[in-house]
Amino acid sequence: MSKVLAFINDKRVRDVFYQAALLIGLAALLVYFIRNASQNMVQAGIASGFDFLWRTSGIEVPFVLTNYTQSDNILSLFWAGVANTLLVTVIALVLATALGFLIGIARLSSIWLVQAIAGAYVEFVRNIPLLFFVLFWYFGVIAALPAPRESLSVFGVAFLNNRGLTIPLPDAGANFRYAFIAIAISCLLHWLFLRWARRRKEATGRDAPILRVGLVLLLLIPVLALAWATLATRWDIPVLRGFNYRGGFVVIPEFVALLAALVTYTAGFIAEIVRGGIQSVPHGQIEASGALGLRPGQTLRLVTIPQALRVMTPPMTNQYLNVLKNSSFGAAIAYPDVVSLFMGSALNNTGQAIEIIAMTLAVYLVIGLAVSAFMNWYNARIALVTR
Amino acid sequence: MKTFVLAAALFAAGTLAASAQQLAPSPTLDAIKARGHLECGVHLGLPGFSFANDKGEWTGLDVDYCKALAAAVLGDATKVKFTPTSVQQRWPILQSGQVDLLSRNSTITFSRNATLGLNFQGINFYEGQTFIVRKKANVKSAEDLDGASVCVAAGSTEEKNAADWFRERNLKVTITNFQKNDDAITAYDSGRCDAYTAGVGALAGQRAKLKVPDDHTILTKPISNDPQGPVTRYGDERWQLIVRWVLNGTIAAEMLGVTSKNVDEMKANSKNTEVRRLLGAEGGFGAMMGLPDDWMYKAIKQVGNYGESYERTVGLASPLKLERGQNQLWTKGGLLFTPPFQ
Repeated sequence: MSKVLAFINDKRVRDVFYQAALLIGLAALLVYFIRNASQNMVQAGIASGFDFLWRTSGIEVPFVLTNYTQSDNILSLFWAGVANTLLVTVIALVLATALGFLIGIARLSSIWLVQAIAGAYVEFVRNIPLLFFVLFWYFGVIAALPAPRESLSVFGVAFLNNRGLTIPLPDAGANFRYAFIAIAISCLLHWLFLRWARRRKEATGRDAPILRVGLVLLLLIPVLALAWATLATRWDIPVLRGFNYRGGFVVIPEFVALLAALVTYTAGFIAEIVRGGIQSVPHGQIEASGALGLRPGQTLRLVTIPQALRVMTPPMTNQYLNVLKNSSFGAAIAYPDVVSLFMGSALNNTGQAIEIIAMTLAVYLVIGLAVSAFMNWYNARIALVTR
Repeated sequence: MKTFVLAAALFAAGTLAASAQQLAPSPTLDAIKARGHLECGVHLGLPGFSFANDKGEWTGLDVDYCKALAAAVLGDATKVKFTPTSVQQRWPILQSGQVDLLSRNSTITFSRNATLGLNFQGINFYEGQTFIVRKKANVKSAEDLDGASVCVAAGSTEEKNAADWFRERNLKVTITNFQKNDDAITAYDSGRCDAYTAGVGALAGQRAKLKVPDDHTILTKPISNDPQGPVTRYGDERWQLIVRWVLNGTIAAEMLGVTSKNVDEMKANSKNTEVRRLLGAEGGFGAMMGLPDDWMYKAIKQVGNYGESYERTVGLASPLKLERGQNQLWTKGGLLFTPPFQ
């Protein structure tokens, strides 16, 4: 008896019990909601289930990275949308980070004008809704570009007009595949070389020719590989016929406008994070590095930024997740992302709102969690090692 | 025992007699009567079909149908609340019960009927899809659009129609799908596309939204057949009956020569039994659906018959200047037809 009482009164046992009860309760609630929704839908005569994913989509997509064509099924349409969402998100992340760093550092510039312009940019961007940016860039971009017949020609192979940027496409991709493999190998060699050079320096104090080897491995080899692939491949060069250029690959204005909007908008927020991060480094550190004889550039690179990064990483994660979520604004200007294609066209054609919205949510959740996981890993890596 | 049997028989007979007077329950109709107005889902803004002016007054062919329905159900054509819906919003807003019906130039299709839990209650406009293009592009028919960019509203029947039509003919056309009709029109107008596609009637109305309407021309030959009409949810058959027969009533009125001007005289003097049944002078047709017998009288008196409505909203008396065409009575070479009021 006393054993049973002791068991019941054990704090750990109770904790486990309460948590299990809560979990079961939540699961039951979820099951109830799903059952309730599906019963009501059956009663209302609304189709449910995931069979629709294998129906022919019939929707023409103007910008596809996958092999999707109009006669494929709706699942392929979904993946085409996911690929477009990922494309614009990843490129926007990289560009917004670069621009944000530039503006953030400019805000701390000792030159008054640079500081004022950067400050004005940040205040402007942070107080205007993103939708405005998207529409401004879209209609601004289209209005600024000429009609197909007056296209701006880039060396006679690429053409810019209000239908997009038409670029030549290789007839066969094999040569480029070899080139990219070569580039990947030379990057790997460079990484191994840097590791070897660092270890040798730590062990013997001797310097290695880092700059020269870096130039060869990271610049010369990639340029040569790409040049070879370019010359060895037959190109499908766009030709003006009828309404527009035929052949090649078209980078649509919707993509450019959405990318520009995401980059210019997010850069404003990133700039503030960069400024805050840099200012969080105690001034004594900078004075100390000056006393050690480091030049201002070296101080920034070796003392300020590594310490600022630790402060910046968590809020940067937020901004990166925002870029992913904000990419759904593409739906406002017909950029064929997952929201526009799947939650717009496919949802309307099938009417299966619950399934489609759940799948779209899952896409953002999975990508978002992946970005978070990467940033957490990075954060742990650069964290101050305390002894 | 005998008394018991007699009592039971009497009770059964009484129940039967009472139930003969009873109508199938109609929660939608009860709700409309209780709230005092009809909730009608319409287009966001399509001149000629459903369009709100600067005073917030709605006009158009689809709007007129809802007004006629309100007159038939509540006796007052003004007791309608219009809910503008986008292409994406229209089905969920009806499925979830936020509106009593949609009257929103939406095409009747098999899969919508079979999988969305929605019924189409007849045809109030025979539409055909076509393209609007710039005059200087020198396009005579849709076949000339090879290589062109076309702007379209995502999730519309036009989106799929156009893709299918060009693919079947091996024509390479880039289709850019916008979330709203207005966004697609703005993009077309700003030069993003060579053509914008929608129904003939819809284009006639939307043309006015372009910066210089006269620079554009609408291709005359349609590539599809898009019948449109009012939509209700599955279930509540009595409400579906009312929605269907008010539409039939407006067409029958035109067929029988009943107009908003002569409706009083026709109701009083007409010898035609179908006219008398339609206007409630005999037959008690309204009561069969749980409406007053003068349901169609009120609708015709306040809104007019189909032809009057057509001329006023999209016809020659309107800025759209559409001929009757397919939307003429079958007796006059069109497709409009209604089963008899008998």
